[in-house]
Amino acid sequence: MKSFASACLDAAVAAGADYADVRVVDTSNESISVRTGRLEGIESSRSAGFGVRVIVDGAWGFAAASDLHDDAAARVAAQAVEIARASALVPGKRLELSAVEAYVGEWEGPCETDPFEVSLEDKLEVLFAADELLRTEEAVKVSSARLGFHKVDKHFASTVGSHIRQRHIESGMGIVAYAVGENEVLPRSYPNSHGGAWEQAGWESVVAADLAGNASRVSEEAAQLITAKECPSGSTTIVIDGSQLALQVHESIGHPTELDRVLGDEAAFAGTSFLSLSDLDTVRYASEIVSVTADATVEGSLGSFGWDDEGVPAQRDYLIRDGLFTGFLTSRESAVEIGRTSNGCMRADGWNRIPLIRMTTVSLEPGEWSRDDLIADTDDGIYVETNNSWSIDDRRLNFQFATEIGWEIKNGELGAVVKNPNYTGSTPEFWNSCDAVCSEADWRVWGLPNCGKGEPMQVAHVAHGAAPARFRDVQMGVARCSASIGRETSPHEPSPPPTRTRWSRSCSPSAPSSRGSRETASTSTSPRTTHVSPSAPRSARVSASRPRTGWTRAP
Amino acid sequence: MTECCRAAVSAAEIAPEDPAFPGLPGPQPIEYRDRAHGATGALDAEGRARAVEAIVGQAAAHGLSAAGKVEVSDAAVAVANTKSVDAAMPVSEARATVLAMGDEGGSGWASFSSADPRDLVPEALGDEAASLALRSEDARSLEPGTYVVVLAHEAVAELLSMLAYAGFSAKAVAEGRSFMSGHLGEKVVSERITILDDAASPEAQGLTFDFEGMPKRRTPLIEDGVAVRPVTDSYWAAVTDTDDTGHALPAPNSFGPLPLDIEMAPGDGDIDRMVGSVERGIYVTRFHYVNVEDPMSVLLTGMTRDGTFMIEGGRLTHPVRNLRFTQSALGALDSVESVGADRRHVDAMLGSALAPARLVREFVYTGQPW
Repeated sequence: MKSFASACLDAAVAAGADYADVRVVDTSNESISVRTGRLEGIESSRSAGFGVRVIVDGAWGFAAASDLHDDAAARVAAQAVEIARASALVPGKRLELSAVEAYVGEWEGPCETDPFEVSLEDKLEVLFAADELLRTEEAVKVSSARLGFHKVDKHFASTVGSHIRQRHIESGMGIVAYAVGENEVLPRSYPNSHGGAWEQAGWESVVAADLAGNASRVSEEAAQLITAKECPSGSTTIVIDGSQLALQVHESIGHPTELDRVLGDEAAFAGTSFLSLSDLDTVRYASEIVSVTADATVEGSLGSFGWDDEGVPAQRDYLIRDGLFTGFLTSRESAVEIGRTSNGCMRADGWNRIPLIRMTTVSLEPGEWSRDDLIADTDDGIYVETNNSWSIDDRRLNFQFATEIGWEIKNGELGAVVKNPNYTGSTPEFWNSCDAVCSEADWRVWGLPNCGKGEPMQVAHVAHGAAPARFRDVQMGVARCSASIGRETSPHEPSPPPTRTRWSRSCSPSAPSSRGSRETASTSTSPRTTHVSPSAPRSARVSASRPRTGWTRAP
Repeated sequence: MTECCRAAVSAAEIAPEDPAFPGLPGPQPIEYRDRAHGATGALDAEGRARAVEAIVGQAAAHGLSAAGKVEVSDAAVAVANTKSVDAAMPVSEARATVLAMGDEGGSGWASFSSADPRDLVPEALGDEAASLALRSEDARSLEPGTYVVVLAHEAVAELLSMLAYAGFSAKAVAEGRSFMSGHLGEKVVSERITILDDAASPEAQGLTFDFEGMPKRRTPLIEDGVAVRPVTDSYWAAVTDTDDTGHALPAPNSFGPLPLDIEMAPGDGDIDRMVGSVERGIYVTRFHYVNVEDPMSVLLTGMTRDGTFMIEGGRLTHPVRNLRFTQSALGALDSVESVGADRRHVDAMLGSALAPARLVREFVYTGQPW
């Protein structure tokens, strides 16, 4: 493979490239799903090819192909150069790259048992056992159990002199019980929603997750939701579990600190950022107990690698330190804008896409509280678990999340279950209201295999470490026609009876939650770049269509 | 190919039998459409770059920055099975988007979607976005509340697409997860609303057969406000004992059948008359990052983006900062007072949508980011 990669680079330089890199990528996937007692699908796929990226006349060009022959190397390299020359026709800033050393090396992710070597019978046994137990409770009408595996073998080379081979395997697993009532459907998931929990690991992670061992509890909690009262509305204290907080970090810290968004490269699709270049090392992003790192060296995380897709070595960097905003996620090109070198965040979704700035393992660093002490220290509030819905504006300021389940906290104890909890807020205000983060004992890394970005859309596998944390004065129960916070209700007060005009009923909107802050005043107005590239056919996009998950549909 | 077939056969041998599986469908006549226009040849790398230059130039001429894309594709899809299904069709796509941005927070959006790139007029697209951006500079804040809204085509397309995702699949209906579950034949929204899926219509751009090689049938979903039916594929048609509308996605998938060429029937409204009829309300160009909080009422939350304006006394008076809404799509469809006669083809989350503008009496805004 090294000789093929070298042939690509030589051909690019011969065609006129000032810089070139090539990635040869071979990816295998397997997914198996069981739903309500029947096998829903088994899918195996493999995709191999290479992509050549070049700079000519200060502009990017990229081309890719799936035939790994020497004549393809020359053809694709010439196409990349042709596209770069066309891009250079559009007036704009001539691009520069920050320095990187040449590396020759290998990296391999952790894996004890290759899941692609485990028999299909064993996988089906795990899924059917869990799926059946999910329907322990009568209220659970639909159940779902899924396994997914992803294997990557990648060779990177560049005209800087690097030749790098990296291999890793990812495993994911998840179960969902859907309690179905009249005009309501309430999911409860384990270990996480939206496809389950993912990590760089082998079959051993499936065994450790013990899907069947958790299925009955999940079923019971789903059934509880049917008779639970609606989450009350108003401003209150919220304690957020690690999995939901991982997504909160993703949307309101990870994305706004991506430097390509700040510079405007994503403006027309995913959006920009409320941050500007001058905010670096000056803006208080969060309270002093909040520190957030971007770390590509966390063992077993979806955000880990040896080198990124520009050949920059994996690093650990602070994005927020003791509440102060201290770092962006960068690439070789964008780092020039802040006078730094890249902190290694460029990754591409396969061989036929250009690398983009992506999160690595962007984590809320652990604090000092135990979860039990945190609940005991909270007089009145709501504890929420497991994401159900998410939305955030194009500058990453105003978010609204819904979770699968919540519990009232009264006088330091968890109380009644509440259904349909949601909360909204403004990013800096929210993170500055954080007054407690749980410790290493409750901290874990949550893999998110579906972060969407770029045009054409790319899906990245990223991760976030988080432990439960507490936030004050958060607006909850938005437009849910629920009881107001502070109003006395019986612990098991039923929801309002559903009616056919339920969606027509007008709920009073909650009071505005944003008070504004100086961080919100900036607007990104820097020069934009426009990607000019062929798109996937509609048929291909259709097969990948998912709800706009910010992750898969955006942004 | 051989390795691929072996893997499929091996998996099928191990998989437990599904008694509900009706078998693969046999061939059906397909109404093909000529939707191949050699898009990549008509707009090569230099042509795309020149189009970008012309689009962005409109923004630059007004001191604005701009971002967006020009993309083209030519593809062919073929579906065949051992029961003699043999469907194949080439399709072209050309898409362009532009977001123009001003120094004072103004932003304007314009998009283009066609099977033929020769329909693209880059200067006009750039001008539309730039004009909107200039007009939306120095936006003012607005208190959350329930407002009358005029939704432009792209905003309506977004709501249609979310409705399709949440409720128009026979799988969701059969599992009790759709607003249609148990309510087929009932009035669910205003009688002004008719929604259908029609891949063979002159305005549609994609394939006219599904991924089982079945013809995509024109399927009324909501007719005069009444829930008619969801779309099906061969499996969910058999499970629900109805006919196959030809809306299968590539197998296997967890979504079930979905409508990818959804459209809202036109009314007799006009967007200027809609604005003229509003004493106090909001004009919305498009939405951003919409997601479903409750599938049964299709309760959505999302933001407005790139051209939100206050309507006062029947005219647009000033730009408004982006707003967060938390609103049932069904509720919004139930309070529609006017549907536009003019429709636009919009690239949507699921395939595409053919959408008119719409006047909605009650739309709930729940917050503002700054």
